Amino acid sequence: MSTISKNGSVQNTVSNLTKQFRANIQTYAIIVAMVAIWIIFTITTGGSYASAQNVSNLFRQMTVTSFLAVGMVLVIVTGGIDLSVGKAAGFVSVVVAHFQAYIWPDMLPGQEWLTTILSVLIGLTVGILIGTFQGYIISYLRVPAFIVTLGGLWMFNGGILIVTQGRTIPANQPLFSWIGQGYLRPTHGWIVAVGVVALLFYTMFNNRQKKRRYGFELSPLYVDVLKTAFYAVLIAAYVAVVNSFNGVSIPVLLLATAAVVMAYVSNNTRFGRYAYAIGGNREAARLSGVNINKNIFGIFVVMGFLCGVSGIVLASYVGFGTTAAGHGYELDAIASCILGGTSTLGGEGTVFGAMIGALIMASLTNGLQILNVPSSWQYVVKGIVLILAVYTDVYFKKNR
Amino acid sequence: MNDDHIVIDDNAPSAPGGDVILDFHNVTKQFPGVVALRDVSLQIRRGEIHGICGENGAGKSTLMKILSGVYPWGTYEGQVLFEGQELRLENRSIRQALEAGIAIVYQELTLVPGITVGENIFLGKEPVERGAINWDKLYADTQHLLNEYKLDIPPQALVKNLGVGKMQMTEIAKALSENARLLILDEPTSALAEAEVEQLMIILRTLKEHGVTCIYISHKLEEFFSITDSITVLRDGRVITTQPTRDLSVEKLVHYMVGREMTERFPESHRQPGEIVLEVEDLHAADPTESTREVLKGVSFTLRKGEVLGIAGLMGSGRTELAMTIFGEYGKITQGTVKLAGETLNIKNSRDAMRHGLSLVPEDRKRHGLVLIQSILRNISLPNLDQFAKWYKVDDNAELRASRTFAQNLAIKAPHLNVLCNTLSGGNQQKVVISKWLMSQPKVLIMDDPTRGIDVGAKYEIYKLINDLTAQGIAIIMISSELEEVLGMSDRVMVMHAGRSAGILDISEATQEHIMALATGIA
Repeated sequence: MSTISKNGSVQNTVSNLTKQFRANIQTYAIIVAMVAIWIIFTITTGGSYASAQNVSNLFRQMTVTSFLAVGMVLVIVTGGIDLSVGKAAGFVSVVVAHFQAYIWPDMLPGQEWLTTILSVLIGLTVGILIGTFQGYIISYLRVPAFIVTLGGLWMFNGGILIVTQGRTIPANQPLFSWIGQGYLRPTHGWIVAVGVVALLFYTMFNNRQKKRRYGFELSPLYVDVLKTAFYAVLIAAYVAVVNSFNGVSIPVLLLATAAVVMAYVSNNTRFGRYAYAIGGNREAARLSGVNINKNIFGIFVVMGFLCGVSGIVLASYVGFGTTAAGHGYELDAIASCILGGTSTLGGEGTVFGAMIGALIMASLTNGLQILNVPSSWQYVVKGIVLILAVYTDVYFKKNR
Repeated sequence: MNDDHIVIDDNAPSAPGGDVILDFHNVTKQFPGVVALRDVSLQIRRGEIHGICGENGAGKSTLMKILSGVYPWGTYEGQVLFEGQELRLENRSIRQALEAGIAIVYQELTLVPGITVGENIFLGKEPVERGAINWDKLYADTQHLLNEYKLDIPPQALVKNLGVGKMQMTEIAKALSENARLLILDEPTSALAEAEVEQLMIILRTLKEHGVTCIYISHKLEEFFSITDSITVLRDGRVITTQPTRDLSVEKLVHYMVGREMTERFPESHRQPGEIVLEVEDLHAADPTESTREVLKGVSFTLRKGEVLGIAGLMGSGRTELAMTIFGEYGKITQGTVKLAGETLNIKNSRDAMRHGLSLVPEDRKRHGLVLIQSILRNISLPNLDQFAKWYKVDDNAELRASRTFAQNLAIKAPHLNVLCNTLSGGNQQKVVISKWLMSQPKVLIMDDPTRGIDVGAKYEIYKLINDLTAQGIAIIMISSELEEVLGMSDRVMVMHAGRSAGILDISEATQEHIMALATGIA
């Protein structure tokens, strides 16, 4: 062991994604598992699993619950849980559908842009209110999150039934439907891809420059270039594949944005840092001047916002507000986080991992559907995969 | 330091020439890249109290982990014989060790707080009659066991309501109920106040009369001389020497441990305290969970720039509560004032305290000081993120540069700053805690037992650091359980007793006897 030297091997400003990637050895294992699942399904389905259409569907199918998983990561990282997110998103979806179907046509006939924007705003507001309400009770009134959100689950379920009155509400105006069902034109898809890649390279060079200004040792230029190029190739490959079908799907684009923003927030802001410190050791965080109540409150507000986004996309994607909206999504979201390496004890977990976890869940469901496996057995398989994944992790940790 | 303080108990029975109960025979334990034990041969005689000392990383805990099955049979070279039979423990089989007759009382106690003393002692082996627990028998057996070893604990008391000392007694009783012939005590006094230490020594002598063999591991060298029959010193995984206690002295032990002559256990300092920075007057504070109970009942003191005020006192005297109250993280101040540079403070929480230039190195670094699953970097910067925040973003380059500076200045030993704190030694962990609190540039630094459970070398470094800080004009409050340390490091000593300041002594008039008299309320 040596004392920390001036030119220590600490690499600080690696690009955001690689930092996340490195943060968790488990992430590597889970990526390998995901690729394995893809290969198995591609073979067993005779190649139709890997078709452009199916890849496009696969990513689109994961979006609604993945918005919830993005927020759930931070909730679990602080040592909490949110059981209400599925029903909360469902509630948002029926409220939005209700406005789309019954309120706007009378109040603002023919104003498609305005009504769509208002629907989105109402959905987000309801989501934020839900988060504020639950977050306040959890952080300031100190009722355990498990209980508050279990109560929330029932309340929002009741809310769904009250709003729908047991009926299905149509929400299928073309512009509103575009949010959950739309695609970018291929040229636009490429423009976005080029923009993102340019931003990646800009960030990389910018980070190198900052590090140089601080006098830190830089990793060789080609390493950084290769890393960034790797992500650029992944993005380009995805766009090329989905463009040969319908193009980049709007909800996938929204999800990618939400995930990148939350990954950034969790790593690079005080808000995110404090969340990990609280989950890692609440007492130490408190004595370090972290305002725990405020932080946890904020996390539930963010969670509520993402429930809002999820509910809007759900209403738009399905085209209806239904009585069963959002049923069981909270468990999918939690499972995605856990598969992606989030510790149920708190303090550990990444948004990136949760997205991989969500992708695995979606990949399984999708593959089993193509193989015509009855849904009863799909549940059994998903259950086994979750337990197996966590056992593998426990096993490797124990025998490291 | 002179030799006066060393207690050599001439009446203690000398090491009995009994048979060998535990025999390490050429034991070597290797890890990738590190040899933790090199060819260790060590005999413990039946009925003796055998001290083992050495710096952190010397191999003490590796030895213990072999005896508890954390490193099972086959993962090390050489043989371990217990009562003449080779010990072949399976992976993590502490149960097997117990059945063989070896019990370990850890630094961190392993009792269930919500159940009674008796239930804890008989946990997993409750007397059962027709499928139901026979409570009468359980408590009768407990009482019998406690009487036999003269342990003064009520069998029906809930463990969480006991003090640390009595919890430890319960733990020992539990080991004895398993018919342990060899009891290993790992840092048993690190959480005990002086009076409780005395109690423990009495218990150990009783055990010895009953023929129980003890291995006694400690960082507090003086203790060895009041209790052990012989002492083994480990250094760098080797046995340096095993000698009868009466042939040794603290100086010799330190010499063996560090491999160099340590003429001074405390570095020399030339402090020149400046003007008064902190003034505490008649401070009263209530227990946060029970607001009618006053824990602080009138504490007054002043602290000068560049001065070290030592605070001595027994457990429960209100030392830690005083520190936490000043830091805004304990009960309500019911009376009295805290003034910083003449200005009366109204501190509501730790954030407030930091803003005013107060820092606290808490007593329990694992529970209160560190986020163990996070890196050195993240721990050092945690209370100081405001310094690096530009609007919403944490400038991670600035964070790294500043953290690295502190890590270098305090000589934290680690390959880089992304090392997780749970892999560091106690001394290094403490340096991380101190770094994080120095980064906030305090005017007053409160250190609650800063050298608890760390080795002699690391202690010395922390003492030197304290001197550096006072030279920079930082005022330091140093709470300590070790009288030596208080006497060696302070300019003045405040002794606490029952929530009050029992007296403030200038270092020139302070002696161990004087402090103890004040602390116990005799003076």
